Amino acid sequence: MPDEVTAERVAAIAASARIPLDAAAAERVARTVNPTVTRFFAEKIALPMEIEPASFVVVAREQAER
Amino acid sequence: MTDPANLSLVEVAAAIRERKLSSVEVTRALLARIGRWQPVLNAFVRIEAEEALSAAAAADAALRGGTTLGPLHGVPLAHKDMFYRAGKLSECGSKIRKGWVAPATSAATARLQGAGAVHLGALHMAEFAYGPTGHNEHLGPARNPWNPLRITGGSSSGSGAAVAARLTYAALGSDTGGSIRLPAHFCGVTGLKPTYGRISRADTMPLSFTLDTVGALARSAEDCALIGSIIAGADRLDPTTQGAPEWNMAATRRPVKDITVGVPRAYYVDDLEADVAKALDEAVATFRKLGARVVSVDLPDQTAVTAAAQIVLGAEATSLHSPWLRTRTGDYGAQVRARLQNGLAYSAVEYVEALRWRGPALAAHLAAIGDVDIIVAPASRAAAPTIEETDVGAGPHADATIQAMTRLMRPANYLGLPVLVVPAGHSGMPIGLQLIGRPFCDETAIALGRAFQTATDYHRRMPELP
Repeated sequence: MPDEVTAERVAAIAASARIPLDAAAAERVARTVNPTVTRFFAEKIALPMEIEPASFVVVAREQAER
Repeated sequence: MTDPANLSLVEVAAAIRERKLSSVEVTRALLARIGRWQPVLNAFVRIEAEEALSAAAAADAALRGGTTLGPLHGVPLAHKDMFYRAGKLSECGSKIRKGWVAPATSAATARLQGAGAVHLGALHMAEFAYGPTGHNEHLGPARNPWNPLRITGGSSSGSGAAVAARLTYAALGSDTGGSIRLPAHFCGVTGLKPTYGRISRADTMPLSFTLDTVGALARSAEDCALIGSIIAGADRLDPTTQGAPEWNMAATRRPVKDITVGVPRAYYVDDLEADVAKALDEAVATFRKLGARVVSVDLPDQTAVTAAAQIVLGAEATSLHSPWLRTRTGDYGAQVRARLQNGLAYSAVEYVEALRWRGPALAAHLAAIGDVDIIVAPASRAAAPTIEETDVGAGPHADATIQAMTRLMRPANYLGLPVLVVPAGHSGMPIGLQLIGRPFCDETAIALGRAFQTATDYHRRMPELP
């Protein structure tokens, strides 16, 4: 489970991306996004090291050959 | 002959090919209709009347000379203003791309043109395709032909409105989080969101390259089958299409008795308005009557795949827009700017984990549905709300409104599944249902939709000019 999404974290990511974001916007973003990140990590997904994004294509294409 | 504007895509294409109607007659009929409806709907952002009539005249001349370009010879079409045409404006519903001239033609548009289609103009859309309602701070909202005080849905807002009002026979749209399916549902038209990787997205405005799909809104499942047969297939400029199966037109007529339909026990059926629940029940009864096997299914928790979809969409959209977020942030509408800023919240590890989970999540979905071919589900819990009540901008209700609107949309994008939305009810406003297929089995969804439309007339109902 990651730390809660905080305004400080949002501001730090924005700064590293060199995208201007004022403090009020960072607060709003944290409030808005926190439920999504929390829900995703509540799934406790444990992915094998070998799984990569393109593994999706393998699963989908198996259906094409079905 | 009936008003040409009332024909379906398949019907008008045949009428032109058989010279029962000329392309010029048909184009004039649509332009006249556009002239009456456009002030009400705001469905078009550009109407290219002279060019369309000139192309229609050329199509008629070619036909008289014995030349047929393809299955859409002389058929006028209009598309969402994000399908580039080389040397032409493509403003993507934005201030930032105001006056932008596309350097190339989108693969989907090129294939339609190659099949003989005539270009009528460009259609309204949410700013950068990042909005589910049909609002646009720069263009004003598109309006629903069934009731102009109500939303069209978005982001393919003009596509939904224009097809419903019979201003075009079909329209290209894109679907990253419901942008074809919501307008199809709210406007009462048939919409095909294809399998991810089935239709090239080359030279189409991107929003989220992992989730973006290009598809069509049209008047029937049969029309969607025709469009699919033209625009699907491998394209070297879109690597996701490499190795995908060819479009199988015969499979769009697959017998319904060979199709197993799954009805979800949860999530998609929770908290529905009574008229939507009734439409779902009646559609299931129709599928049974048509010979389909109907079973109940327990899907994996859809809230988790929805969260993963939001992480992927948020991070990718923000990455694509980062140059303008640095230099032109004030030129976005407030809601789009706020949503793009939301993408700054995700860490690289979160984003990549959400990407990596996509394959296992699809495998879990397929294991859960077993031999089910099509899941039938509502597109939304209700018919179209009003423009006023959903005009939330970037205010405190914005996120809740967007989440509610897209709640039943995101899983199909994250899992890359094909979906056909068919009109399936009417309570003053249209109600659509999603027919969600297995990957690369778009044709099966169309086959079920086509059979459904032989037994129902919702797709034939037309709004009247207020």
